[in-house]
Amino acid sequence: MQRRTFFTGAAAAVAATSVSRVAMAALPEPISQASADTAAPLLPPNGRPYHPVVTLNGWTTPWRMNAGVKEFHLVAEPVVREVAPGFFVNMWGYNGQSPGPTIEVVEGDRVRIFVTNRLPENTTIHWHGQRLPNGMDGVGGLNQPHIPPGKTYVYEFQARRPGTFMYHPHSDEMVQMAMGMMGLWITHPKGKHPLIADVQRDYAFLLSAYDVEPGAMTPRVNEMTDFNIWTFNSRAFPAITPLVARQNDRVRIRVGNLSMTNHPIHIHGHEFEVTGTDGGPTPKGSRWPEVTADVAVGQMRQVELIADEPGDWAFHCHKSHHTMGAMGHDVPTMIGIDHSGLVGKIQKIVPDYMLMGERGMGDMGAMQMPLPENTFPMMAGKGPFGAIEMGGMFTSFKVRQNLGAHDYRDPGWYQPPKGTTAYEWQGAPLASQAPRQTAPGKAPGAPSVRKPHTDAADHAHH
Amino acid sequence: MASTLTRTTTRLSPLLAALVLAGCASVAPDGLRSAVGEHTEGRLPSQATLADPSPTARAQAQQQIAAWLQQPVDADNAVRIALLNSPALEAQMAALGMQDAQRVQALTLPNPTLTLGRFVNGHEREIERQLSFGLVSLITLPWRARWQGWQMEQATLTAAQQVLLHAADTRRAWLRAVAAQQSLQTAQTMHEAAAAGGELARRMARVGNFSKLEQAQELRVQQEAAAHLARTRLNAALEREQLARLMGLWGPQAGFALPAALPPLPQAEALRGGEDAEATALRERLDLRALRRDLDTTAERHGFARVGAIFGDIGASYSRNTATERGTRHDDVTRGWELDIPLPIFDWGGAASGAARANLQRSAAQLRDTALRARSEARSHWQRYRTAYDLAQQQRSEVLPLAQFMQDEAVYRYNGMFISTWQLLAQARATAQAVATATEAQRDFWLAEVDLQLALTSTSPGATPTLATSAAPATTEQGH
Ligand SMILES: [Cu+2]
Repeated sequence: MQRRTFFTGAAAAVAATSVSRVAMAALPEPISQASADTAAPLLPPNGRPYHPVVTLNGWTTPWRMNAGVKEFHLVAEPVVREVAPGFFVNMWGYNGQSPGPTIEVVEGDRVRIFVTNRLPENTTIHWHGQRLPNGMDGVGGLNQPHIPPGKTYVYEFQARRPGTFMYHPHSDEMVQMAMGMMGLWITHPKGKHPLIADVQRDYAFLLSAYDVEPGAMTPRVNEMTDFNIWTFNSRAFPAITPLVARQNDRVRIRVGNLSMTNHPIHIHGHEFEVTGTDGGPTPKGSRWPEVTADVAVGQMRQVELIADEPGDWAFHCHKSHHTMGAMGHDVPTMIGIDHSGLVGKIQKIVPDYMLMGERGMGDMGAMQMPLPENTFPMMAGKGPFGAIEMGGMFTSFKVRQNLGAHDYRDPGWYQPPKGTTAYEWQGAPLASQAPRQTAPGKAPGAPSVRKPHTDAADHAHH
Repeated sequence: MASTLTRTTTRLSPLLAALVLAGCASVAPDGLRSAVGEHTEGRLPSQATLADPSPTARAQAQQQIAAWLQQPVDADNAVRIALLNSPALEAQMAALGMQDAQRVQALTLPNPTLTLGRFVNGHEREIERQLSFGLVSLITLPWRARWQGWQMEQATLTAAQQVLLHAADTRRAWLRAVAAQQSLQTAQTMHEAAAAGGELARRMARVGNFSKLEQAQELRVQQEAAAHLARTRLNAALEREQLARLMGLWGPQAGFALPAALPPLPQAEALRGGEDAEATALRERLDLRALRRDLDTTAERHGFARVGAIFGDIGASYSRNTATERGTRHDDVTRGWELDIPLPIFDWGGAASGAARANLQRSAAQLRDTALRARSEARSHWQRYRTAYDLAQQQRSEVLPLAQFMQDEAVYRYNGMFISTWQLLAQARATAQAVATATEAQRDFWLAEVDLQLALTSTSPGATPTLATSAAPATTEQGH
């Protein structure tokens, strides 16, 4: 399912550009992306040089230089996004995908963005975190007229400070963000910056959540809390590309949150520092090491680490439900339920009934059962040791020796050196009974349940 | 009786023909069963016969019934058994026989009256002998025989309608009993689903995964299903009892088996068309034929009424008087005829004639009314039949597949842990309910078919019931 075509994908996107030379004075041709795979980093063909980012399951839009101004063309339009293998969602996005293409510029660049509205309703774009003239901030009604369907508006400003930013609509924002309208904006520093380190790998993605009824295709835009699709860049595990690093590379990961809840983003095997927010690079004295950074709603976090431990390291949101695919939230806990004699009875009525959950839900990761159409299992993904039992906001951070500097391809499963993997105890089994307080369903030492009595003489009954 | 009359009326030769007619009036030996059979011909299953009360025939019938009861009783056999075995129908046929006997009795001439008188005076003793009888009843015998014949035909037609109604009742009862038995199976499935859910909930509460309230919610579902099952079981028993009653079965015979399912719906092409419904009803219905007979009788009576009313009964008598002189012992015999004629001075027959005319008008109006009803019933029962078919067909080809689809989707959702076992079981109950509703629609079609047959070819099936089924629209309860 996973097509890891980092370089070829980008080449295709660029080839599709074909910016008409004669049309330089006219509206730039919008460039569209058909694939939800991770595109290769776009090395800047002109303008000031920088080290490009890799957008997880996304791409960076090429631009056109027009009299020293970098011109981009974003088209707001309905798209169909493959969120997980075989699971397609009707979204609104930009230039063929949700999220839209990453815009990469350099500090000091003059930027002109054409925004064409092909949605059925008004839109605008707000350039989240940018210093810019008030009239370019993109809040419909407040700073500018809304962009009606079919119209093209132009935004123009200077990218004044380096950092990690995003863009999203500020016109019927609730609906348009629930439908997946968002994108990343990276402003690279002009030359050396004392607070911004050089990195060998620079990854970026946005966090978003959707509520899609199993079997349906369109997110329920009115949902506020009960989402069931948790994504990095509108992709859910196992469809999210792994983050790949050569051993000892300095790796920067930029995460923005446009969902309606916070996400503690967690890495295994390494510790990182938050080196920047959407307010800019953090002072060195304020940085401390951690393995989980909470990214609140509307925030961006830029973390950095040295990838010095080879292996396949989990990288995910630490809210455990956010590492699950679509699931019902009203299903009672079945753990520890004795089903003897009942499964057959239920199968008499529902022949395809299978017992699930009586030992926990881990079995779900290995089960292959028919699901409603256009949905994906609650947990999926196979690793070298079996089912990974994850879905949603989960991927892996793969550190290898001897990778090419520009090699972002999935290196496959990590082969741990002999004797470095957890193993089964082969000695004598545990001799004593597991100490147990009481049977399930009864609190230890609790008296048998008593109804409240008004009668003081009730002790006689016990 | 007739021979006595013949002897005493040798001089009344013109009336001979009438007397012959009167002699012809005899009680039908089979209690008019064959006459009824002619009217029910083609309106009953083949070889369906009425009970013959003779002991040998009765024994044969019982053997035949026992043979039919060996296998599940289909609708035609239910009708055959009912016709052979129903005491109610037998009572009706016996009543018809009684009516026939009364007819014969009515056609028999009244016995002549012999008047004897003995009068004595000082010198004479007079013996008076007079033989008299009603002349008019003799003269009108041919007409009366004809009317009585018509009336008997009318009674036979009425009896035939009773037979057809009994057959229809049996057929309806059979349909209801089979459908109720099918619904019982569905209710059992629903109850099993609820019971499994209830037991699972109990186990959930036992280990602390359900609160007592959550358990109670599933228990309530189980209780409702149990109550529904009990009602359905009672209904199935009652419907079956009704069928047994109509078939005249009791004791071990009442343990007969029924087929597991109603007959399938016919193909749409095989349905009866509605275009000729009214014409068929006017041509075929026995109640219309009976009323037409009634009208004939009344019309002829109308002509007779005036004469009869004016002249009443003309009495004819023959007298032979003997006067004996006491002293001489000389007999003086006088013989002679005497006619007794009422004079129409006060009653010129106007009232009787008016009554007869009104009676004729009533008969004619009744016929028109019944024809009107027959037309209307033909139309409305055909519409009901057609709609019942469409509804049953919709249930079978659209609603049930949809229920099955929803059931499959529920399983997929359960597989994906989107819904719980209880929600899955609730869907299973809804699916079972859809099956029950489809069965009821199928039953309603066949019931409508029975009524249509009656309305077109036999008699009025009574008020046209609507097609509302007892089942409420199935709602998928989503558990919690
Ligand atoms: Cu999260």
